[in-house]
Amino acid sequence: MAGIELRDVSKRWGKFTGVDRFDLTIRDREFLVLLGPSGCGKTTTMRMIAGLEEATEGDIIIGGRRVNDLDPKDRDIAMVFQSYALYPNMSVYENIRFPLKIRKVPAAEHEARVRRAATMVELTEFLDRRPSELSGGQRQRVALARAIVRQPAVFLMDEPLSNLDAKLRVSTRAQIKNLSHELKVTTIYVTHDQIEAMTLADRVVVMKRGLIQQVGTPTEIYDRPANTFVASFIGNPAMNLMNGTITDGVFQADNVRIPGLDAIDGPVTLGFRAEDAAVAPVGQIAAPVYTMELLGDATMITVRAGGALVAVKAAKDFRVAIDDRVDIAVPPGICHLFDSTTGERLYA
Amino acid sequence: MRRSTFAWFVAPSVVMMLVFIAFPLMSVLVQSFSLTQPVVESLTVETCTPSFVGQNCIQETRRQPVLDENGAIVTETRFVGLANYATLVEPGRALAALGNLNLNELLSIDFWRALRFTLTFTLITLPLILVVGLGLALAVNNVTRAVRGPVIFVTLLPFIITPVIGALAIRWLFVSDGILTRLMEHWSGQDIFMFARSWTIELLMMFYRVWHVAPFAFVIFYAGLQGVNQDAVEAALIDGASRLQRLRYIVIPHLMPLIVFVALIHLMDAYRVFEEVIGFRSEAYVISLQYLTYDLLMPDNTGNRAINRASASSMLTMIGIVILLIPLLRHTWRQHRGTR
Repeated sequence: MAGIELRDVSKRWGKFTGVDRFDLTIRDREFLVLLGPSGCGKTTTMRMIAGLEEATEGDIIIGGRRVNDLDPKDRDIAMVFQSYALYPNMSVYENIRFPLKIRKVPAAEHEARVRRAATMVELTEFLDRRPSELSGGQRQRVALARAIVRQPAVFLMDEPLSNLDAKLRVSTRAQIKNLSHELKVTTIYVTHDQIEAMTLADRVVVMKRGLIQQVGTPTEIYDRPANTFVASFIGNPAMNLMNGTITDGVFQADNVRIPGLDAIDGPVTLGFRAEDAAVAPVGQIAAPVYTMELLGDATMITVRAGGALVAVKAAKDFRVAIDDRVDIAVPPGICHLFDSTTGERLYA
Repeated sequence: MRRSTFAWFVAPSVVMMLVFIAFPLMSVLVQSFSLTQPVVESLTVETCTPSFVGQNCIQETRRQPVLDENGAIVTETRFVGLANYATLVEPGRALAALGNLNLNELLSIDFWRALRFTLTFTLITLPLILVVGLGLALAVNNVTRAVRGPVIFVTLLPFIITPVIGALAIRWLFVSDGILTRLMEHWSGQDIFMFARSWTIELLMMFYRVWHVAPFAFVIFYAGLQGVNQDAVEAALIDGASRLQRLRYIVIPHLMPLIVFVALIHLMDAYRVFEEVIGFRSEAYVISLQYLTYDLLMPDNTGNRAINRASASSMLTMIGIVILLIPLLRHTWRQHRGTR
């Protein structure tokens, strides 16, 4: 059991900066998700914690111990890889047992510990198989079992669900959530999938180009994105963002007029979430329909307004033809305002 | 692909294989069971010379080859069963020598002498080549990318050199006034003759073979190393595996099919060791099975070639290779069955 402290950790390759002064304290037993598009430095951050990459600067402290100069094996961590990284020549049993065998855990304990780990991930009936005889989901569960069998202080998971198909991803995600609840081990989880981040995390770190954009609980990040990047990265669909100007508390843009905003005059980026707005007889946005998508539980209406495509969720039986005009109600209370040049949130 | 198209595509190579491999092989097999000799006739000649009381007659029986109308010697070929093999192997003498535990006696038979060296040579060079090749591949894989090209080139040089030239080069380094012999004499303070004893010659031959073939193993293993799953290596690193354990549990299992392949090729090659015997002019001390066959094929003082015995000798060489390959082939077969 251990907390992790990252003090101004950076990774540079020549002139290129992969991770820029990453500073964060991860509490003991916390489930932290590093979220961002590819190349944002999330995997590099994790690999530095694992010891697979050396930090160019800064201190990495696990359980109160500076580990920068320790080998990966001495950091008391376990890692799950996107590609499963199983040992193809060993059976499932041998794969799970490998960390115990290598670390000279007394042989008498192996059987029981391997079985316990296999039971947790529901693999007991596959112990004699080779990895090549398993499905993707089963393989990733072997990797999970191999990680938990040693009871490390920290779990690192590098996009463990990315190679699975959509259905398996959902069930394995639930399994990981359940495991983490049961094991109560500090976990760092890297993903580019915001749904995984939202569903699994105690806290989410959103990253972009090596820099932390925002750290917060999933709710905080969803409800109060720190900038337009986070706003557009989190949520499905992403937050609607429109560029316009405020004059006397009224936001105006192409096809848009939202009065009642408490803000100083000037250009801003205004955002709101599709599910917060609604189709109404009279609304702040009036524009022709660009497209209509049936989602089953709702109908997504997209219009062109404020120089962007703006989506809004309507009732599941709502129907409209393309190019028909609709009115969308966007009350000022659901609006987020961002600086139109820096993208930073205004009026925190 | 349609069956007839397929047939047309493989036909040339099947014909080539039949003409240049299968038929000669059959011919060698048949010849090894037969004996070709000149037909000899006995001729009784009475020579009479006049003498004081009549004539002196001497009757003389001469054996001479039968000649045909062109004056060429007529030969006949008989089926002799295993006689050629028996002449080579001399089972009676060999068994007696074995019974007396008299190795020198056994090794005085050319075949057993050749077999002893061929087996020693093959079985000692095999592990050395695998280890040296793998060592080189791992070393090159770990040097920085910038120097990798030149290092690979230098490593491959021994492989590129023509075998006989390479063997001669080594010989010249170690002959009595060669540089290395002089150097060793300087260090040890005594006269050294590397080519005066069987075991020193054998040592040099094996050294040469390892030097010559290890680059081949290196190239194969180096290519194989590029395909090692890096995630698995990193997983093992985190699981706590040392460098040696990663080699044992991840790298070697990954390379196993290639190791078997190199071993197969090397066994086939080394069992037919020949260049070394010629290059090191070792025939007085050490001969190989392949050299034995060659020696039987060379005309002797009377111009005869022992083609039938040579055939038997090469059949025995082939059988030896097959026996050596059986364990490896069985391994490959089991892998093949396992992955299906």
